[in-house]
Amino acid sequence: MASDKLRGILLSDFNIQNLAGYLNNNPDEPGVEVKEAPFGQVIPLLVDPNAEIWQKNYDFAVIWTQPESVVPSFQKALNFESVNMTTILGQVDEYTLLLKNIRDKVKTLFVPSWVLPTYHRGWGLLDSKSGFGTCDILMQMNIRLSHNLDDVGHYYVLNTRKWTENSGKAAFNPKMYYMGKIAFANPVFVEAMNDVKAALRAVSGLSKKLIILDLDDTLWGGIVGDLGWENIRLGGHDPTGEAFVDFQKALKSFTNRGLLLGIVSKNEEDIAFDAINKHPEMALRQDDFAGWRINWQDKAQNIVDLVRDLNLGLQSVVFIDDNPVERARVREALPEVLVPEWPADKMLYKSSLLSLNCFDTPGVSQEDLARSKMYVSERKRKDLKDEVSSLNDWLATLEMKVEVNELNAVDLSRTAQLLNKTNQMNLSTRRMTEQELLDWAGQPGRKLWTFRVFDKFGDSGLTGIASINIKNKEARIVDFVLSCRVMGRKVEETMLFTVCDFAASAGLEKVTAKYLPTHKNNPCLQFFKDSGLKATTGDLFTWDVKNPYPLPPHINLIKNNGKTDDLP
Amino acid sequence: MSNEKYLHIIYAVIDEINEQLDKNQRLEKSRDTVLVGQSGKLDSLGMVNFIVGLEQKVEEETGKEISLADQMLNMGNDSPFRTVEWLAQYLSSIVEE
Repeated sequence: MASDKLRGILLSDFNIQNLAGYLNNNPDEPGVEVKEAPFGQVIPLLVDPNAEIWQKNYDFAVIWTQPESVVPSFQKALNFESVNMTTILGQVDEYTLLLKNIRDKVKTLFVPSWVLPTYHRGWGLLDSKSGFGTCDILMQMNIRLSHNLDDVGHYYVLNTRKWTENSGKAAFNPKMYYMGKIAFANPVFVEAMNDVKAALRAVSGLSKKLIILDLDDTLWGGIVGDLGWENIRLGGHDPTGEAFVDFQKALKSFTNRGLLLGIVSKNEEDIAFDAINKHPEMALRQDDFAGWRINWQDKAQNIVDLVRDLNLGLQSVVFIDDNPVERARVREALPEVLVPEWPADKMLYKSSLLSLNCFDTPGVSQEDLARSKMYVSERKRKDLKDEVSSLNDWLATLEMKVEVNELNAVDLSRTAQLLNKTNQMNLSTRRMTEQELLDWAGQPGRKLWTFRVFDKFGDSGLTGIASINIKNKEARIVDFVLSCRVMGRKVEETMLFTVCDFAASAGLEKVTAKYLPTHKNNPCLQFFKDSGLKATTGDLFTWDVKNPYPLPPHINLIKNNGKTDDLP
Repeated sequence: MSNEKYLHIIYAVIDEINEQLDKNQRLEKSRDTVLVGQSGKLDSLGMVNFIVGLEQKVEEETGKEISLADQMLNMGNDSPFRTVEWLAQYLSSIVEE
């Protein structure tokens, strides 16, 4: 997805050509190719889902309207006429129904929330009075819009107010409207462009997942190796010390939304962990970090090693370091890593972190929320692995359970997320929306299973997908997807066992898998080559189901609903 | 203030405008660049962005509020938007007067 441009369409009741220009020219990933519909055609185009523009399978659409143009009663409110809140919200409902008319026509829809120009004082003192002031009415309209669209998984309301606030006085210029029917000044379009790009990164699986941090003068003030942990600048009655603690707390809060923290620092490891574990004002402790490289080696190499250990890609990484030389080195050596410019003033660390727009996600699953704990568990697993001699002995100590389910509503969101962001162990690298996946799996002759993995260290979550398409006594594996978090623990073989076992019980003759290469899924090919399936051509693998496919001995397989009676 | 100062202001606005324009529509930062007319690259929307950007930039740099909107319709030989150099002279004359 990163190499191909996403195609988008912009619809608006004002001239939105400037936003199209910014989006088309912006070099950040993902590249986009955007067109704008003639302005003022929003409602006619929404009323007609068969209109030509909806037949072009756009990857995304932005539908940006002014509140008074799609909610006529709001114009009365702006004219200080008496209006009925029920009528206004009814018109919001009508508009959102129109938005839903095209739910099958675009893969992702962005709807910027409604705002008024900042120079508009409305009722002034009474502007926030419930059901009366224009400010209050507009807030209620936006809440209704957002709630109404909640049930469409690929629709997102964007926060326009943030764009206008960040643009300050430059957000609106009436001259732009009178001369070009442009409702906002260009700083707002730049903010919109940045948010749309961030959102597209999120839905394309390009968001950052790991924040790698330096230590001295980044997590605390001073050089711990020189000062000793008792004398670093952290907390206390000191504005800078307090700012470091706040920065750490903000980083820790990010682990609650599924982001991982790591350390790459030029230090002695023992001395660094003395500070981390003993200093009373440290908000971050050793167990908050998924991994680290604390030594005197090149930081770029350390980042590569750490990221490999965590089974992530360099494109998932943000590196934060106070030292501009180290930042420049990592930027030059590892262009995939995001290295934000970092303020010299320590009191600006937290605000700089909170303003990064690289962490957006299209949804939040239980797996996301628990990701940080899962990685800490994984680190402990690896520590155990180092103590145990053979792979099989190590696997036997893990007490693994794999729970298999057919696709269900509860798991749909996580399943689509896993399908769309997994690159390495992915047989066909299909990308589908939740609805497309549900529709596909619901067709006769198809099966889709999900796999959850547990062991004595914890729950790794829903980490595997296998799906088949049945034709002429053959079960063709369509999706074979496994998160890198659990690769190499024989979950792959367990998934194959599930498919072959189903095929045997359903009276089928063979299971086949056709490998579709991408530049990232070679691990999948390697697995199938070693899987025991017969390679009939270089990329087609076959198993004769007369022979039972072996279930790995250390796996306790739990089948929750292995329905086999609904074959075509 | 010399014409050079106004050239720098115009070039800064050209940088901003180019961020929105297709590669083949982008303006060159040169005294001879034609802004409007048959060989000009700016369409009507481009002119709106250019004029509003220029008004703001002049105010930021000189503290003086100017209005160029009326000149947008002037496509004749006396249009200040014939070339970048003409425009710099025009700005100098209205700001310094």
